[in-house]
Amino acid sequence: MQMVDFEFRKELIKDDFSLNYCYQCGTCSSSCPVAFITNGEYNPRKIIEQSLLGLKDLLLKDQKPNVWLCCTCQMCVEECPQNVFLTEIFERIKNKIVLLGEPYPETFKMQAKSIIENGLAIPLTQPIIRRRDQLGLPNVESADISELKKLLDATDFEKKIKILEESK
Amino acid sequence: MSYNYFLGCVIPGRLPFLEASARRTFEKIGIKVGDQAKCSCCPDPTGAAQLDHETFLALGARNLCLFEESNNNILSLCSGCTESLKMVKHILDNDDEKKNEINLKLKVIGKTYKGDIYIKHFAEVLHENMEKIKEKVEKPLKDLKVAGHPGCHYLRPSEIINWDDPLNPKTLDELIEAIGADPIEYDMKNDCCGNPVEKSDKEISLSMLESKLKSMKEAGADCIVCVCPACYQQFDFNQREINKNKNTDYNFPVFYITELIALALGIKTEDLGLNFHRIKVNEILQKIP
Repeated sequence: MQMVDFEFRKELIKDDFSLNYCYQCGTCSSSCPVAFITNGEYNPRKIIEQSLLGLKDLLLKDQKPNVWLCCTCQMCVEECPQNVFLTEIFERIKNKIVLLGEPYPETFKMQAKSIIENGLAIPLTQPIIRRRDQLGLPNVESADISELKKLLDATDFEKKIKILEESK
Repeated sequence: MSYNYFLGCVIPGRLPFLEASARRTFEKIGIKVGDQAKCSCCPDPTGAAQLDHETFLALGARNLCLFEESNNNILSLCSGCTESLKMVKHILDNDDEKKNEINLKLKVIGKTYKGDIYIKHFAEVLHENMEKIKEKVEKPLKDLKVAGHPGCHYLRPSEIINWDDPLNPKTLDELIEAIGADPIEYDMKNDCCGNPVEKSDKEISLSMLESKLKSMKEAGADCIVCVCPACYQQFDFNQREINKNKNTDYNFPVFYITELIALALGIKTEDLGLNFHRIKVNEILQKIP
């Protein structure tokens, strides 16, 4: 059974107050290309409804609808008559999934790891460095990894991501 | 104040030929753009930026600080980077409490975010210089039917991007027109290419791509033009994948707008690395005088 969690609802509203403005007209879902392709199985209106009701387990554990399917095209944000910042609310829901250690798509985690290790989502490989040279492009002077690590430690990033590994 | 490039991750690390076309185009129209050392991932608004809001702000703010220190504005070669950096700036510039929190984090690496510089997408700067481009066209791309794909983060959220019409964009088509080509209308022009969903569900991502390709084909496009490396990859890498699964025959050459402009400005094809495209562009090149 799904339980209403008032604290969770409050947290989400604190993260982005525009959640409060939703009157469930469904314009978001009718403008969403992923909702269209999945015949409504992905449904942004429903995610917002569940957020307003504080249905924490449904959003974070069952992940129904699956918030990771948002393509971040921002059409819903643009079309919403109430200026609800849906993509921002979805980002915070994803943050909470990660923090709780619930499963989420591996590609996101791999990208985060690459940023921690290389400073970049896509590291510069030897063949690419050669190709850059061939094209007459300058060397890319990447970020200092130890400096980045200090900053990422200050935001507890690795710890937040590791919570996931420990829970498995 | 002058510009430095923000290259991002995808272009320098996977599609350096797109970078070559941008650098050569800006040189040719006489806009000097410098290089900014030590940038990290923006971070990716469709990826790592979704994992932790505080880290998103901190990494983005660190990048902004680098440009503030070198006293240059940002010219971004990628729509995703543009959105991330503009979003971080928007949040920090409008919320002192948050700005202070992030500056406390930045203190550990000896940086402070001030909010002195601005961020522009490269196509925005090209659009501002459209008259210069028109003057310098040597080989107008006459009779070339181009399906312009503005993509999402180039336009939206409009409150933060603050640029073209978010639901009825015109700037990309105007750039296509400026080099003598024909920007065609097609039903799904404003739709997402599907690239970001690939991270969670490849099948949905490809279905979104297929709808766009179908709409472009019906409208009689010769080629596709985009302004974001994520969209570029989706179009250039995944048409074959769709053909394999769906028994279709999509084979649109895909260009970055800077590649088409470079060609129209008479920059040599060898200098652009067009041979690195997965879908061969030779047929299109033959159409250029």
